[in-house]
Amino acid sequence: MTNMITLTCNVLPAGGASNVPQAHKKKKRVSFLPQSSNMAPSRRTKRVVASQPGFLNLKPSSGAAGLAGVRRKRVNKNKKKNWNKHSDINDVTEFLEDVRHQERTIGGLLSEKSDDHLFFLDVGQPKKAEQKAEPVDGKKRKGKAVRPLRIDLILQHDSLVPPPKDVLAYQQPNAKKLRRIAQKAEQLAAKGVVPRRQKQLLNRRPADRTVKKAVTEANNNPDREYYDIWGQESKDTADPWYLQQTGKKRVKRPEKLNEKPSVLPAVEVIAPGGSYNPDFFSHQALLQEAHEVEVKKQKEEDKIERQLAVNKEHLATEETILREQVEGLVEEENEEEAPNEEEEGVAVGAITVAEKKTERQRKKERAYKVKEQLRQANRYQNDKRQQLFQLRSIKTSIKQEEQETKDKQKQRKAKQEAQKAQPRRLGKLKFKAQDMEVQLSDELAGSLRQLKPEGSVLKDRFKSLQKRNLIEPRERAKFKRRLKQKYVEKRAFREIT
Amino acid sequence: MGGLQKKKYERGSATNYITRNKARKKLQLSLPDFRRLCILKGIYPHEPKHKKKVNKGSTAPRTFYLLKDIRFLLHEPIVGKFREYKVFVRKLKKAYGKTEWSSVERLKENKPTYKLDHIIKERYPSFIDALRDIDDALCMCFLFSTFARTGKCHVQTIQLCRRLTVEWMNYVIASRALKKVFISIKGIYYQAEVMGQLITWLVPYQFSHDHPTDVDYRVMATFTEFYTTLLGFINFRLYHSLNLLYPPKLDVKAESELKEENDDDYAMNSESYLEKLSALSASLARVVSTAEEEEAELDQFPVEGEDMANMEAREKEQKQEEAQKKLFEGLKFFLNREVPRESLAFLIRCFGGEVSWDKSVCIGSTYEVTDETITHQIVDRPNIGKQYINRYYIQPQWVYDCVNAKIILPVEDYFLGVTLPPHLSPFVEEKDGDYVPPEKLKIMALQRGEKPAHEQEDEEEEEDEEDEEEEEDDNEEEGDDDEEAEEKNLKKMEEQRSQGKSLPVKVTAGKVKVENPARLEQEEKAEEKRLAIMMMKKKEKYLYDKIMFGKKRKVREANKLAAKRKAHDDAEKSKKKARK
Repeated sequence: MTNMITLTCNVLPAGGASNVPQAHKKKKRVSFLPQSSNMAPSRRTKRVVASQPGFLNLKPSSGAAGLAGVRRKRVNKNKKKNWNKHSDINDVTEFLEDVRHQERTIGGLLSEKSDDHLFFLDVGQPKKAEQKAEPVDGKKRKGKAVRPLRIDLILQHDSLVPPPKDVLAYQQPNAKKLRRIAQKAEQLAAKGVVPRRQKQLLNRRPADRTVKKAVTEANNNPDREYYDIWGQESKDTADPWYLQQTGKKRVKRPEKLNEKPSVLPAVEVIAPGGSYNPDFFSHQALLQEAHEVEVKKQKEEDKIERQLAVNKEHLATEETILREQVEGLVEEENEEEAPNEEEEGVAVGAITVAEKKTERQRKKERAYKVKEQLRQANRYQNDKRQQLFQLRSIKTSIKQEEQETKDKQKQRKAKQEAQKAQPRRLGKLKFKAQDMEVQLSDELAGSLRQLKPEGSVLKDRFKSLQKRNLIEPRERAKFKRRLKQKYVEKRAFREIT
Repeated sequence: MGGLQKKKYERGSATNYITRNKARKKLQLSLPDFRRLCILKGIYPHEPKHKKKVNKGSTAPRTFYLLKDIRFLLHEPIVGKFREYKVFVRKLKKAYGKTEWSSVERLKENKPTYKLDHIIKERYPSFIDALRDIDDALCMCFLFSTFARTGKCHVQTIQLCRRLTVEWMNYVIASRALKKVFISIKGIYYQAEVMGQLITWLVPYQFSHDHPTDVDYRVMATFTEFYTTLLGFINFRLYHSLNLLYPPKLDVKAESELKEENDDDYAMNSESYLEKLSALSASLARVVSTAEEEEAELDQFPVEGEDMANMEAREKEQKQEEAQKKLFEGLKFFLNREVPRESLAFLIRCFGGEVSWDKSVCIGSTYEVTDETITHQIVDRPNIGKQYINRYYIQPQWVYDCVNAKIILPVEDYFLGVTLPPHLSPFVEEKDGDYVPPEKLKIMALQRGEKPAHEQEDEEEEEDEEDEEEEEDDNEEEGDDDEEAEEKNLKKMEEQRSQGKSLPVKVTAGKVKVENPARLEQEEKAEEKRLAIMMMKKKEKYLYDKIMFGKKRKVREANKLAAKRKAHDDAEKSKKKARK
C-alpha cells in the first residue's frame, strides 16, 4: 500500500507542475489544448492534489485529517475482512480516476505530453478578407454541410483511449504445450528421426496423376498408347470381400456370352469366279449362280403380279351392268314368298314340347343300357385275349414307331444344324443378302490397272455382321414431318411469271 | 384341385427374354447408346424358340435379348459414362445457344471420355482368344483407313485405323506370316498364319468408294471403335513376341538411308514418320539387335507314339515352309507408277524381296530405276520405252501367283503384252475327284519339280497325270473295271462257243514270268478289298455302293468339264489360227 502511494506521489508533482504555468507570458496567450473542456480536469486535479498527504488541506472536514481528528477505532488487522472495511482507499481511486480521465480526454498523461502538444501559438483573429469570402459562399450553399448533425455528434467516439485489443484473437490455447511439442520435434528433426505421421504420409501410395490425363484422352486418338493387357495380372490386391460388398468388384462375364451367335466365318472369301482374271469355268459357275438368284427374284415378282392381276371373270359384262341398273325396279314376288313359309314351319317345330316318357319306356331303356355295358366289357376281354396271338405284329409296330421317332429326331437335329448357319429373324425385317458381285465377261479387265472394283466392301462388312446375327437388320428411319408444309409463291417470283 | 391358378407368362421362356425397348428403359439409355453398348460388350439379340410365348401372346416381330445379358450390362461402368456424355451435350448446346464461348471452351476441355480396355480384357481373357477374333477387326480397320476424310466418320478414327493397319502389315512382314493372297473384283484377300491361327482379311482397293446409303455408319463406327482398341493391344503383344519395338521404329540403318533423301519434298514432319512406316520398304528396329536374335535351330524330339517316319515328314515340311518364306530373297523389284504400290510392296517384303519405286510416287523409295542390280520390274502397261537388258519386265499378277504357288513361276507367261493366265483362287481346296483347272495342274506339276519342256506337250502330260491321279485315287474303281473286263471276256468266249466255233487253242512256249513284288503286294491288297466288299452286310453294301456311285459321278462330271475345257481351248486356238 505504502509503496503504491509513494509511487503516485512521484507522479503527481509532475501533474501539478503542468498546472502551474497558468500565468500569462509576454503578449502571447497560452492556453490548454482542449479549450472547451479544460476547466473540469484542472479543478479535479486540484482536489486530488489536496487529498495527498504531502499537502496542507484548507478544509479539515474530509480526508486523513478528519480521520486523525476522530478517535481511531481499534480494529483487528489480522483479518482480511477488516482490511477491506476499514482502510481508506479514496485517494487511490480518485487518483486512478484522474489518470483515466486524462487518458480519455487527452490520450495520455498530461505530464508526459510534450509542450508542442499542450500549447499553441495564438496569432489573433483571422483576417477580414477571409471572413468576407465565407459569407458569400454561405449564401450560395444554404444549410451549411460543415456542421455535422447532432445525432452524429452524440454517437461520436469521444474517448481518446484506444479500444482494447481483442485478447482472444492473440491468445493461443495450449500454447505452452504446443511450444513444447514444437521444440521436441525440432530436436528430433535435428537428430534425423522422422515422426510417425510423416512416415505414414511418405509411405502412402502416390496418387496417380496420369490417370486423369488418360481419362481425358479420347478413345480414337491416333497417338494413343497401348500396353500389354494380357501380360499383367489384375492390380487390385484389396480384399475381395470388401470389393464385393462395396460394389467395386467387376461382375464376371458369363461364359455363355463368349459363344458366337453364328457358325459362319468372319470373312467369307468370294468364289473363285470372282477373281479379277478368273478361270473360264469358275467364272461361268459364278455367273450361273448369280443368274439363279436373279431368276428366283423374278419368279417371286411375277407371282405377286399374277396374284394381283384382275380376274376376267370378275369383270362386269353388259348383262350384269344392266341387271344392276334395273335392280329393285322389277318386283319378284315368287321368290319372296317361298322362304317365309319355310320359316314358319321351323318355328312351329321348335315350339313343340317333348312328350313325357312312360314307365315302360324307361325300364326298357335301362335294360338296354345294362346290356350294352356288358357287351362292351365282353368285347374288351375278348380283344385282350386275342392280342396274345398278335404279339409279333404288335412288336413290329412298336419298333416301327420307335424308328420313326428316331428318324424324326435325326431330321430335326440336321435341320437345327443347318439353321445355325442361317441368319435368324431378329426384328421386324428379314435379312436380305446383298446382290452378288459379278462382272460379266465383257466387263472383265485385261490387267490389274484397268480393273473396276465391284460392289462395296463397307456394305459387304455390314451385311456380314447382319448375317452372323451380330446386329439386327434395320431400315433407315424415315423422316416424318410433324406439321404440314405450306407452299407460298414469293411475290418477287410471282412477278416474274 | 387346390392351389392358386397359375398365371400366364410368369415363368418359362417368357421370363428369360426381354424386348429391346424394355431393356433400353431398364438401362436408362437412348436407343443409339443402347445399341452402342451392346456392340461394345458383345451382347447380341436372340431369336427365341417360341416367339409367341415370349412375346406374351402377341406375334408382333420384336427384337429380344436375354434378360441375364441385360442384367449383366447393368454393372457396366460405361453406362454411367454414356449418361455423363448426354449431360455434356446438353450443357454444350445450352452454352452455344447463349453464346457463352468461355464456358463452351471449358466444357469441351472436360469432355467425358471412356476407355474400352477393361472390356477387351473381359471379352478376351487370353491373347489367343483375341487373335481368333481379329479377322473382323482387320477388315474394319483396313476399310476405315481407306475412307476419304469427308466427315462420314471422325478423321481421328481414320488416322488411328491407318496407323494400326500399317503396324499390322509391318508385323506380317517381320514375321513372314503371309500365306495366301487373292485379287478379287471386290478387294484383295490376304491370309496369314499368326501363332497357329489362320487369319483372313479383305483390303479394299484404294479410291473405290461410293458411300452406300443403306449402311448404318454409326453402327460401323462403333464396331471400329472397339476393334481399334483390340487391334492395338494385339499389335503390341505381337511386336513384343518378335522383340520389336512398339510403337514401331524404323531400323537405324534404314532410317539413315531414308534420311539422305530430302524429307521436305513429302509430308509434314509430324506425318512423315507414319508415311515412312507405311511405305513398308524398311525393316523395323528391334529391342535386341538382329545378330543376337538369330537363334540356334531347335532340336527335335519325337513325341511319344510318333514314329520316325512321321517326324521326318514333319521336318521336311518345315524346311519347305522355311524355303517358301524366303521366296523372293535376293530378288530386287522396281514398281512402276501404275501398279498398286502398297499391296505389291507388302507382298514382296513379306517374302524377303527388296522393293523400290519412283521417288515421286511415294516416300521411302530406296533405289532408282537406273539401278543395274534390279532383277524384276513390275509394269502394267502394254509396252515400255526404255528397257534394261538385265531385268525382267513383268506384269503384277506374277507376284501374286508366285506367292500362291509358293514357287518362283516362269516369267514367260507374264511378260508385257502377253495374255495372262487366269488368277486362281488359293482359297479353293479341291478334294479328289473334283474338277481341277488345267492351269492349277500346271502349277502343281511345277511344284513337284517337273519341268515343262513345251506347252503342248505339257498339256498332254498333264492329262496323263490327271488320269493317273484318278487311278490312284480309287483303286476300287480300278478293281471294278478289271472285273468288268473279265466278264466281257468270258461273255465273248461263251458266245463263240455257242456259235459252234472251235476255240483258238494253241500251245506256245512258256515264258518266265517276272514277279514284281510290289505289283504282287498291290494285287493282294486289291484282292483283300474285294473280299471285304463281298463280306459286307447288305445294308453296309448298299451304303458303300452309294458312296462309290457318288464318287464316280463326281469324276464323271470333272471329266466332262475337262473335255469341255479342251473343246473350248481348241476352239480358241483354231480361231486364233484362222485370224492369222
